[in-house]
Amino acid sequence: MIVRIWGARGSLATPGPATVGYGGNTSCVEVELSDGTTLILDAGSGIRELGERLAEREPGLLHLCLTHLHLDHVEGLGFFRPLWTSGWKVRFFGPPSATTTLRERVSRYLSPPLFPVGLSELPTEAVFEDVPREPWRIGSALIEAQTVEHRGPTLGYRIEDEGQVLVYLPDHEPYLTAALDDEPAWISGWALAAGADLLLHDSQYSEDEYPNRLGWGHSSVVQAAAFARAADVQRLAMFHHDPMRSDRELDELHERVADLVRHDQEFPLIAREGLEIALGSAS
Amino acid sequence: MERKQPDLVLIVARSFATKLATPTLITDARGDLVYFNDAAAEVIGRSYLDVGQLPVSRWQELFEPRTLDEEPLTPAQTPGGVALLERRPVHGAFAFSGFDGREHDITVTAFPLFSHPDEVVGVMSIFWELPAEP
Repeated sequence: MIVRIWGARGSLATPGPATVGYGGNTSCVEVELSDGTTLILDAGSGIRELGERLAEREPGLLHLCLTHLHLDHVEGLGFFRPLWTSGWKVRFFGPPSATTTLRERVSRYLSPPLFPVGLSELPTEAVFEDVPREPWRIGSALIEAQTVEHRGPTLGYRIEDEGQVLVYLPDHEPYLTAALDDEPAWISGWALAAGADLLLHDSQYSEDEYPNRLGWGHSSVVQAAAFARAADVQRLAMFHHDPMRSDRELDELHERVADLVRHDQEFPLIAREGLEIALGSAS
Repeated sequence: MERKQPDLVLIVARSFATKLATPTLITDARGDLVYFNDAAAEVIGRSYLDVGQLPVSRWQELFEPRTLDEEPLTPAQTPGGVALLERRPVHGAFAFSGFDGREHDITVTAFPLFSHPDEVVGVMSIFWELPAEP
């Protein structure tokens, strides 16, 4: 399994000299499974460049797993070339709703007045499905989705391929559900992340910022590190960087996180555009 | 490591209950008592940390729920049990014995916790002690 980061910024795309190191595109991660299947996690602005890369291939089937429908996780769809090029088939997965289909909810953004073109005009075959309640297979991987603590229905994903586990929790505030040294079973997202080889986790705030943003749905870097310890993950990658955060400030937060991980955990990463992480036989 | 945990709806309900000053119990989809808050502990007579989770048969044995006329109630007949089995909110009154051996008459509002339109993952029961009769 190869994990490629195309966007790790949270909330708002933030291009510019202060963010050029880690990148300003919002959430999008490509996962190349061991059997060659392409799985995409979220469709923030980072998916535009991924789409350009995919368009170099013969059209085929893509699996796109959305954690939730906040704009920073879907705003790239309008410029994701495979979605607008005939021959491709895109299978969307997203959080269930008791009242509306996933297609209807995605359409709220991909329709006037927020976007000029609607889903009915897609030249591709797009299929929209609520995530299954039980783990399911995509290509060579076993996928598990669970609702996690964030504002509005939000999923985290666990992807297991060739015995390696990637967990993706870009928007997550587990501290709201339990103290992070509480019984693990009562911490949002714990079972999903338990024992993961790589955890991409919300690290939006500094310790000082968090008290004024309590309940906004995101974690501080200290909480991300505590969650990674509670879930006994091998390696934490800071994700969903605050749009106000410069590269230099991210480096400072990274030093703080590095101090907080256990000695038997691998040195934490800062997710940055272009970063490629190989897990399992791909490493 | 066994990767098992309650549904997020139950986790959030527990988190909500920890912050409430009103006595609150949380039971899961089997009727097992999975949490009660500090305000409930004041009435029950022991803290959740002391007691922990209780299977349905155990809390029936400990608390001996009964009607206000002293007729025994099965767990399924308590407001929480009805809310779980019939998937609807219930308001009612009953009596139980606390850990201190005292009888408590309470009025309860219980409602099922739906994680999906067709899936109940537990019940939240909020209760108040009835004033003692003069």
